[in-house]
Amino acid sequence: MDDPVLAAIRRSVVEVLPEVDGQLVTEDRSLTDLGANSIDRVDVVTMTMDDLGVTVPVVEFREVHDIGTLARLLRRHVR
Amino acid sequence: MTGGHEVVVTGTGVLCATAADTDAFADALRAGRSGIGVRPGSGVDGLSPRLAADLSGFDFRTAVAARSGLSEPLRRLAVRVAGRAPLPVQAAVVVALEGWQRAGLHHVPLPAERIGVVVAGHNLGGRYADEVRPRYATSPVHLPARYPLQFMDTDHVATVSHVLGVTGEGYTVGGASASGNVAIINGARLVSAGSVDACLVLGALTDLSAMELQGFYNLGAMAGTGGADAPGERCRPFDADREGFVPGQGAACVVLESAGSAARRAAPVWARVAGYALRLDANSLADPSAAGETAAMAGAVRSAGLTPERVGYVNAHGTGSAAGDAVEVEALRAVFGGAVTGVWVNSTKGLIGHTLCAAGVVEAVATLVQMRDGFVHPNANLRRPIAADCRFVGDRAQPAGIEFALSNGFGFGGFNTSVVFARPAVPSRRQP
Repeated sequence: MDDPVLAAIRRSVVEVLPEVDGQLVTEDRSLTDLGANSIDRVDVVTMTMDDLGVTVPVVEFREVHDIGTLARLLRRHVR
Repeated sequence: MTGGHEVVVTGTGVLCATAADTDAFADALRAGRSGIGVRPGSGVDGLSPRLAADLSGFDFRTAVAARSGLSEPLRRLAVRVAGRAPLPVQAAVVVALEGWQRAGLHHVPLPAERIGVVVAGHNLGGRYADEVRPRYATSPVHLPARYPLQFMDTDHVATVSHVLGVTGEGYTVGGASASGNVAIINGARLVSAGSVDACLVLGALTDLSAMELQGFYNLGAMAGTGGADAPGERCRPFDADREGFVPGQGAACVVLESAGSAARRAAPVWARVAGYALRLDANSLADPSAAGETAAMAGAVRSAGLTPERVGYVNAHGTGSAAGDAVEVEALRAVFGGAVTGVWVNSTKGLIGHTLCAAGVVEAVATLVQMRDGFVHPNANLRRPIAADCRFVGDRAQPAGIEFALSNGFGFGGFNTSVVFARPAVPSRRQP
């Protein structure tokens, strides 16, 4: 089963992009691969932070280029 | 109007407290159905507004799905682009889709760059800001990153153009409660000048924040300040016992098109935009001015090449406010003189509330369906008319064959507008 961070990302993706099959939300894919536009991507990030109860400075997202790097960044801030 | 292309209306769309499309609106108006009630959750202490004519049971996905005459990809795109948009933007998309379909633009298209979008309104998303604010207050970083796009009223133009693939001119225009007519005038100019062949004019749903509503309430402009018993009877335009306006949620669309383009596309022609006028009062206050309103109505009639007695119907601004209705009567007398006794007058706001920035477009649609169907709708709660010489419609719809109609819109800060619609094939001037 997923770790909580990937599960939260999956919830946000499916809410922002209802047409996307949640099973496609994997660490080797990017949000763009899943059909997210520029605003969808920031929405997914904000909603996931909210879901996990974490706050990440905007500057740290510069290193994010796919779902795997996003998950790793968020994991560093959980707890 | 002199010069330029003749401007006609080829499509309409509307969404308000009593109707989800144009035909339902025509039925609701004819029946005199009221959409005014007590807004759930409002205060009971008489210190804050309670009455509203809100949309009932609006669901964006259902509303888009109901436009089954449009292609499935277009409906899917609408949901994809606006599925999570604030209510006012979703309402704009829904009425734009109706106008698009009724004008046959899905069926016999125009080049994308020959279509424009003019949105009537400003300060449209106050209530949405109220919804988002707690998130910001708790944790600023969790404010939706989409918010900067959403709080700008231009999101209406952007979203509708995205859904419909429109690439001609587009912008928002404002004139307080006259915004709708200001937008119709701007759209008509774009078409008349040949800048576009067709222009979607959208009256945007003005969803006031609690603070903005309270401001109108404190100003004494709203009905229900003495309580909210018998909510359906509190908005009473042109009645001696009127007490102010009731805000209404509503949005509407008129598709303005050059007569040549409409003929080439064999589009249905509802009416011709025969004339218009916009006058300022040079006054920043909320006071209406008979001189300004007279100048707007008389100017519109003149620009249509008409004399006032040829106008058969006035869709009044008629908010139900004490000063506003009295001044509008004074202006009607000044414009029509002795002929005022023959001109039907009603106020749509008594039934669906004051849709604020959208009002001019909503009431243009009301005017157009009355012209099309040959009736004038009732005036809500008009028991003791403030003017015996005006031909106010009573509590029942009346049959009326309207050739020329005037639709008024007046706004705080001295905006006075009036637009003349002509039934198709009724020329203003004798042919040379």
